[in-house]
Amino acid sequence: MDFSWTEEQNAFRQSVIKFARQELNNNLIERDRNQEFSRQAWNKCAEFGIQGLPIPQPYGGGGSDILTTVCALEALGYGCRDNGLVFSINAHMWSAEIPILNHGTEAQKQYYLPKLVNGEWIGIQGMTEPMSGSDAYSLRTRAEKRGDRYILNGSKTFISNAPIADVFIIFANLDPEMKPAGVTAFVVDKGTPGLSVSRKLEKMGLRTSPIAELAITDCEIPAENLLGKEYGGQAVFTSAMEWERICILANHLGLMQRLLETSARYASQRQQFGQPIDKFPAVATRIAEMDIRLETSRLVLYKAAWLKKTGRHPLREASIAKAYVSEACVQTCLDAIKIHGGYGYMTEYEIERDLRDAIGGTIYSGTSDIHKMILASLQGV
Amino acid sequence: MEQTSTTKDQIRQFILQSAQRKGVSTLGDDESLSQNGVMDSLVIFRLVSFLEDTFNIRVADEEIVDENFQSVNGIEKFVESKLAKKAN
Ligand SMILES: Cc1cc2nc3c(=O)[nH]c(=O)nc-3n(C[C@H](O)[C@H](O)[C@H](O)COP(=O)(O)OP(=O)(O)OC[C@H]3O[C@@H](n4cnc5c(N)ncnc54)[C@H](O)[C@@H]3O)c2cc1C
Repeated sequence: MDFSWTEEQNAFRQSVIKFARQELNNNLIERDRNQEFSRQAWNKCAEFGIQGLPIPQPYGGGGSDILTTVCALEALGYGCRDNGLVFSINAHMWSAEIPILNHGTEAQKQYYLPKLVNGEWIGIQGMTEPMSGSDAYSLRTRAEKRGDRYILNGSKTFISNAPIADVFIIFANLDPEMKPAGVTAFVVDKGTPGLSVSRKLEKMGLRTSPIAELAITDCEIPAENLLGKEYGGQAVFTSAMEWERICILANHLGLMQRLLETSARYASQRQQFGQPIDKFPAVATRIAEMDIRLETSRLVLYKAAWLKKTGRHPLREASIAKAYVSEACVQTCLDAIKIHGGYGYMTEYEIERDLRDAIGGTIYSGTSDIHKMILASLQGV
Repeated sequence: MEQTSTTKDQIRQFILQSAQRKGVSTLGDDESLSQNGVMDSLVIFRLVSFLEDTFNIRVADEEIVDENFQSVNGIEKFVESKLAKKAN
């Protein structure tokens, strides 16, 4: 068992941190307040190679293995304080790029991937609907085959990146009688008549990452926009979710490290009762617990990524990582706020934003409850 | 012949356990697992882990498609083809 990063991975990690600190943290309090996505920062990330990390070189990507990808995203979470931007990038990579890479035809890969990688296009995944969230496959959006075309009708909600997207991966049921087995994936281009953003949504955290509802009305697409096979939606979704559940919280590791360092530094400088507050056992214990959470979160997430790298399907480990890291990060944000006292509660200290952002992690990509349900069922419960 | 029946028995037993949780108690070897509601995303993933561990094979992301897991016979055929490729 070897827990070390290679020299190249360490150097890459440092370069990501430096890049993120220099380029991605401008004007954050105001952008968060105004729900402003930074296209400029998005383009800089693409130029640096973030969006293309796991995509093979022939499609313009960096061809990194999943562990190196996790290493870079952790560094991004450490250096970049715009958690909304990092979330938008994650949504784009795992729910648009990976499905096209794993299930697209060669023509689809060549058409979509280079532009998704170079920052020109932004991707989304439209699965959730007003009546179907955790029970994702009970979706009501319908696909009807007419000759060599499909007609889509329905609606989607909570779709990250929707207001700024160019490429829409839409799940619809081609044969409702088949229930989940009828679910089929399609790739729909921006501007296709019948596909529109019906309402932008305002949310508690991750406010620099736009989110919206989609209306899909008699949206006609050619047969070549089928993604994967007819009735193959479950396969497209599950393989994307496997990547997503392992990688989407890698940046939380960086965030947890940043909060640990900031809190330890603050506690050693802040004086009360004539001494630094880190001399009080309650504060010191809180810092130790933040460290334990960081270490255990790293272990579960790295292990899931390592299993995936060896070609296995770590359903159990991905669910452990998703449920554990998301909840651990929320607790670490709360601890950081408590250590900073009243200052931690103030917007200008930028920790309350981290808490608001972190809570989203316990909901998207399957709620913590759902992951615990998966884990219990793997134990035969 | 021996190997074939063992493979199928193990697959059938796994699928039957999943089916029973969904209230399906009998299952034909050619019966469609998606039509009878036995196969969902969780069962597919549990099945893939089971096949990888039991038969020491690797299932690639793009092979996780319904057509490979449509019935007990279909799954057996998929496993046999993986084992044959491994043997060569
Ligand atoms: C920030 C953010 C971004 C998102 N981005 C996208 C996106 O890009 N694309 C997309 O398709 N979706 C997206 N979603 C939607 C997300 O996947 C769903 O919100 C999530 O799956 C939960 O569904 P729901 O909100 O309908 O809650 P529900 O499924 O209605 O759940 C409500 C509550 O019931 C619990 N619950 C439900 N079923 C069970 C069960 N079987 N056992 C135990 N508890 C259960 C849940 O844990 C939760 O606490 C996003 C959500 C958020 C918050």
